[in-house]
Amino acid sequence: MTEAPYLSIKGISKSFGALQVVRDADIAVGRGEFVSFLGPSGCGKTTILRMVAGFETPSTGSISIDGRDITYLKPSQRNIGMVFQSYALFPNLTVADNIGFGLRVAGVNRAEIASRVEEMLALIKLPQLAERFPWQLSGGQQQRVALARALAPRPTVLLLDEPLSALDAKIRVSLREEIRAIQQDLGITTIFVTHDQEEALSMSDRVMVMNQGRIEQIGTPAEIYNHPSTSFVAGFVGTLSQLDATVTDAAQGAASVGSETIAGLPLPASVRTGDRIRLALRPESLRRDRREGDRTLSARIDSVNFLGAVIRIKLHIGDEQLSLDTFNDPTRTPPAPGDTIEVHFAPETVLALTD
Amino acid sequence: MKRFWAWAAIAFGMLYFILPLVGMTEFSLRMRRGVYSFDAYAKVLADPRFQETFSYSVMMAVFTIIFGVLLVVPTAYWVRLKLPRARPYVEFVTLLPLVIPAIVVVFGYIRLYNTSSWLPLTGSTLGTNILLMLGYATLSLPYMYRAVDTGLRTIDVTTLTEAAQSLGAGWATILGRLILPNVLVAVLSGAFVTLAIVMGEFTMAALLNRPAFGPYMQLLGANRAYEPAALAVIAFGITWACMGLIQLVARLAPKPATPVKD
Ligand SMILES: Nc1ncnc2c1ncn2[C@@H]1O[C@H](COP(=O)(O)OP(=O)(O)OP(=O)(O)O)[C@@H](O)[C@H]1O
Ligand SMILES: [Mg+2]
Repeated sequence: MTEAPYLSIKGISKSFGALQVVRDADIAVGRGEFVSFLGPSGCGKTTILRMVAGFETPSTGSISIDGRDITYLKPSQRNIGMVFQSYALFPNLTVADNIGFGLRVAGVNRAEIASRVEEMLALIKLPQLAERFPWQLSGGQQQRVALARALAPRPTVLLLDEPLSALDAKIRVSLREEIRAIQQDLGITTIFVTHDQEEALSMSDRVMVMNQGRIEQIGTPAEIYNHPSTSFVAGFVGTLSQLDATVTDAAQGAASVGSETIAGLPLPASVRTGDRIRLALRPESLRRDRREGDRTLSARIDSVNFLGAVIRIKLHIGDEQLSLDTFNDPTRTPPAPGDTIEVHFAPETVLALTD
Repeated sequence: MKRFWAWAAIAFGMLYFILPLVGMTEFSLRMRRGVYSFDAYAKVLADPRFQETFSYSVMMAVFTIIFGVLLVVPTAYWVRLKLPRARPYVEFVTLLPLVIPAIVVVFGYIRLYNTSSWLPLTGSTLGTNILLMLGYATLSLPYMYRAVDTGLRTIDVTTLTEAAQSLGAGWATILGRLILPNVLVAVLSGAFVTLAIVMGEFTMAALLNRPAFGPYMQLLGANRAYEPAALAVIAFGITWACMGLIQLVARLAPKPATPVKD
């Protein structure tokens, strides 16, 4: 990002009593960018979001939007849109009144509210439900109304805290596509909190991975997935097999796994000969057919899982477990548990983890 | 056999409650010799003092309800939102009027607010009315607080408040447009209980010497035969009408915001 960030979170920490739940977090979000906060339960995602919304005050650090410091502003003065996991629609108001609530509070005149509400209802594709009450809507519809309500007053930033977690799997997928489309349509700067990696990877411009109150990595979905910078990120995002290895020649990038030695690995510069490291491999990086330049290991099959288009094979080398994904080929019989097969991989797809 | 005893117990209970009512109603209709008539009712309703005390008590009930709602709704809301750990203590305080007799409360009031005190409320009619209303509000506090608190339990107070705040709403808007409408049914049932209490209250009104319905009933009971029975039936009817209204209002309540299945 070359231009100044639109939403800037600088060095914020948050403690509840003796418990520090956010540690020195720096996040810069560009105008119109969609950033996901991804991490396990209790890592502090919601707490950061609530500090941006104004429901919590940071213990240290500052937050600014478009150059204006909002760290100590009341939530009602921030003009930030918020969508909650539990929808939080006002039960006594109709869909139209829910969507118009923010404008009404701001003192906008009736005609203008009506036209904006109509516009929002069209945006969420529910124009026929204007006069319904929240209890007459399905969960997916309620969450779309909540999105419209948050967007109606034209907020500077949109915050969503696990908005899809309470919904059925099917609606979850269709609604996430819809949210992303609306976000891109309006070009609104958005933070999306989730603990579902598929959601984070598929929707976001950038993903921020958190663990225990600390930011582990911020990057595009591809960067996060293909080049995780810490072993936590590598393990949390996607499936990963990890093999214990000993570096036999740091200069050559060679390491031994059990009795086999692999050369040409992309080892970090800090690694010395004789160090113990872990080699991590994605299931889709392993293959059964050898290609030019591949490294090879022989492994024994523990189980074969037929998932339809993909077959996931679990293997072991000595004491180490491995997973391999291969496309289903109807002309070939799948391997059977107990077989010993050769698995191949390009050395550059190996992640060498030292921490 | 078990069933028989269950039914017998119910029948005994019903008789225990209903027989006195039937007797009283029957008696109230016997003012004219030899035939049933509504003479006693006509007499009661025509009595200017009945009209006076009845309307005085209704007015007092209305003010008590308004005061109670303004006091209890924000308090119960605030306790749920900001002081959840204080809830048991607040609940205990609201229960005190049930264990402290009204006569103790009113003597306390008279001592505190008599004409030679720093706030001589009993020195004027308006002041005494205000004092009586505060007394009524105290008596109805356990019911009002419980009703409103139960109403608040059905909504997610914290999240709704945060949603409203992020949309720019201040406290007055949140309380007036979101919290109150959502606990309206609970508030109304609290209001009807308050009405019933105020209409029947004797001790406070008598000791503060205000022309309320309770003391009038007592006075009439001490001096007449048929009219007090008629009056009791009327008072009973008012109470039951209130109960009916509570039921009716509860049935017309807005539904909770649980989603329809996708
Ligand atoms: N008001 C509070 N008082 C005390 N501790 C709190 C408070 N709010 C959050 N915490 C603690 O802070 C930590 C981080 O909470 P947070 O809600 O930010 O996690 P999260 O990443 O959003 O998790 P989840 O995915 O479960 O929603 C948790 O250990 C939680 O118990
Ligand atoms: Mg959370």
